[in-house]
Amino acid sequence: MERKIVAVTACAAGIAHTYMAAESLEQAAKRMGYGIKVETNGAIGAENVLTAEDIEQADVVIVASDIKIDPIRFTGKRLFVTKSIPAIEDSEALINQAFEEAQVFGKKGSKVGKIQIGNDKEKVNFFTHIMSGISYMVPMVIAAGLILTIANLYAFQKDDLGRIVNWGFDNKTQMGFLMSKLFYVGQIGFKLMIPLFAGFVANSIADKPAIAPAMIGAYLVNDPEFLNTEAGGGFIGAIVVAFIVGYLVKGLKKIKWPRLLVPIVPIMIIPFIATAIITLIVLYIIGNPIAIGMDAMYQGLTNLNNNYAGAPILIGAICGAMIGFDLGGPINKTALVFGTAIFTDTLTKYGIDGANFVPGTATQAAISVAPLGVWLATILFKKKFSKNEKIAASAAFGMGIVGVTEGAIPFVAADPIRMIFSNVVGSAVAGGLAAATGCKFYGGIGSPLGTFIGYIEQPIPFITWILCVSAGILTTALLIGFTRKQAVEELAVEQEEQEHLMETVNE
Amino acid sequence: MNKEVFNRDHILFDETAATQEEAFKSIAKFACDSGFVSDEQAYFEGLKAREQEATTGFKDHIAIPHCKSSVNKKPGLFLIKFKQEIPWNALDQKPVKVAFGLTIPEEGATEHLKLLSLIARKLIDKDFREGVLEQDDPELLTEIIDEIEFNG
Repeated sequence: MERKIVAVTACAAGIAHTYMAAESLEQAAKRMGYGIKVETNGAIGAENVLTAEDIEQADVVIVASDIKIDPIRFTGKRLFVTKSIPAIEDSEALINQAFEEAQVFGKKGSKVGKIQIGNDKEKVNFFTHIMSGISYMVPMVIAAGLILTIANLYAFQKDDLGRIVNWGFDNKTQMGFLMSKLFYVGQIGFKLMIPLFAGFVANSIADKPAIAPAMIGAYLVNDPEFLNTEAGGGFIGAIVVAFIVGYLVKGLKKIKWPRLLVPIVPIMIIPFIATAIITLIVLYIIGNPIAIGMDAMYQGLTNLNNNYAGAPILIGAICGAMIGFDLGGPINKTALVFGTAIFTDTLTKYGIDGANFVPGTATQAAISVAPLGVWLATILFKKKFSKNEKIAASAAFGMGIVGVTEGAIPFVAADPIRMIFSNVVGSAVAGGLAAATGCKFYGGIGSPLGTFIGYIEQPIPFITWILCVSAGILTTALLIGFTRKQAVEELAVEQEEQEHLMETVNE
Repeated sequence: MNKEVFNRDHILFDETAATQEEAFKSIAKFACDSGFVSDEQAYFEGLKAREQEATTGFKDHIAIPHCKSSVNKKPGLFLIKFKQEIPWNALDQKPVKVAFGLTIPEEGATEHLKLLSLIARKLIDKDFREGVLEQDDPELLTEIIDEIEFNG
C-alpha cells in the first residue's frame, strides 16, 4: 500500500518559505511514490487544512516550520519537526529522515527538552520495578490498615465525659479480646508488607526465583532483633535488598549450569544461593547502617512535623509539585515512592496515630490536578483552545477523574513551559492544602472522586478532600487560561472561512 | 498574474549593486518609488532582519528577499536582475543574479497575498527558474511571470 505523508509548513512572513517548502515536499513525495498532503499555514491563513481523517491515515507527520505549530492534533502519530529550510533544500532527504527518525508524539516517556514526560512503558527502569512492588503491596496495606484502624478506635478508653483516659484493650470482655486480636492482625499485615513489596520488586527484575530470597532478605533488614538495632530498615532497606537480589538472581540465571542441574536451578539452586548471600549481606554489610539511618530520618521528619506547623504544608506542596512536574516521569515517581515509604514505615513504627500521612496524601491529592486542570481550562477558556485540543482534553478528563496523571502529557509536550508551570503550581496547591487540612489518604484513587472511591480521613467528611483537590485543579486551569494566547490554529481556520466568504461574494 | 501585484514596470535591471546590502537598498528604493512602500529605510531594515533569521537565497542564482511590515502598503512582486553576481549565502552557495522582492503588508487582500505565495511555489519549478535567469527582455519576462495563475 502507498505510504502516506501529511505535512504542515509555515514561516515568519507566511509568504515565501511556507509555500516553497510545501511545493518542494509535494514534488519530492510524488517522485518517491508516496501520497502526500501539505497544509500551508501562511499569511493568508491555513490552506489545504489536514482533516482528522488525513492525519489518521498518515504514516508520518512532517512539520517544517519556522514558527510554532501546535502539534496536539498529531497525538499518537509519528511526528518529525524541522524548519522550513530543510524542506526546501532537500525534501527527499527530509522525507527519508522523517520516516526513519519520527517519534510518536505525546506518548508516555516522550521527552520535552531534557525532561521525560510520563513513564515510558516500553523502557523498564528503576521505577518500573518499584511500582510493580508497590502495586502488590497496596492491597495488604489497605486491608491491614483498615483492620488496625477499627481495633485502634476501640482501644481508646473514654471516661464518662468522653475524654480519652487510657489506651489498651480490656481483654476481659469479648469485644476487647476480639479487638486486641484484630490489632495484632493489622500489625502482622504491616510486618508482611515489607517482604511482600521486596519480593515483587525482585520478581519484576528477575522473575520467580528472586521472590523467596528477596522476601527473606527484606524481612531480615526490617527485623531489629536480627540486626540488634532499635528499629528496622523499613521500606528503603527493602528497596536495597530487592535490587541486590534482583540483579544477583539475574546474574545467576546467566550462568551455564550443567545440563543435569538445569531443571532444579530456578526452584532450588538460585533461591538457595541468593538467600544465603543476601542474608550475609544484610547481616554484615547493609543492615545496621540502613536501620540506623532510617530511624534517624523518620525521627527527624516527625520532629519537624511536630515542631513546625508549616513543615507539613511545605512538604505537601513540594510532593504535590513533584507529581505535576513530569506526569508519571522519574520526579513524579520519586514523590510517589517517597510518600509510600514514609507512610508505611511510620505506620509500622509508630502505629496509626503516629503515622506520617503527609507526603503520601499530598501526592494523591496532586495526581489528578494536571489532567483535570487542562480539561477545566478548555471549558473555562473555550475560545483559547482548538477543536483538537478540546478532544484531547476530554480524554485527559477521562484519565484524570480516575487518578491517572498521564492524561495531560500531550498538552505538556505541545507547550512545555506554560503547561509544566501551571501543573506544578496547581499540584503544589492541592498537595499543600491536603497537608494543611490534615487529610489522611489510606487508599483509593487520587482524583476528587477518591473521597467516595477509597478511604480518606478528613476534617469534614467527603468535602475537604474534594475542595483541596479542586482548588489545585482550578489553579492549574486559570494559570493555563491566563497565560495562553488565542489558539493559533483556530484563528487560521476563521481566516479561511472569511476567505471563502470573500470568494463567494466575488463570484 | 494580477497587474496590481506585478506588471512590466516592476522589473529592474540593476547594474551597480555588488553586495547584498546594496542589493537590498536597490530593491527598497525600487519598491518605494513604485508606491508599494511608505518608508524606504524601514523596508530596507526589514529585508536585512529577515535575512538574519534565515537565508532567502534559494538555488540556481535566485533569491526571494521579503519582509512583512506595516510600511508595506500592498502586496507586490518586484523582479530585479543584477548585472553583477551578489554573494548571498544561498542554499546552494551560488551567488545571486535574480531577486524576487516581495512586499507583504501586515494585513492585505488575500487574493494578492496568494499570488505572492504562488511565486514562492513556482520557484521550485526548474523550467521557471531557467526562464527567468536566461531571459533579459522585459516583455518576455513579464510573460513568464504572468503565466502564474491560480490552479483551482
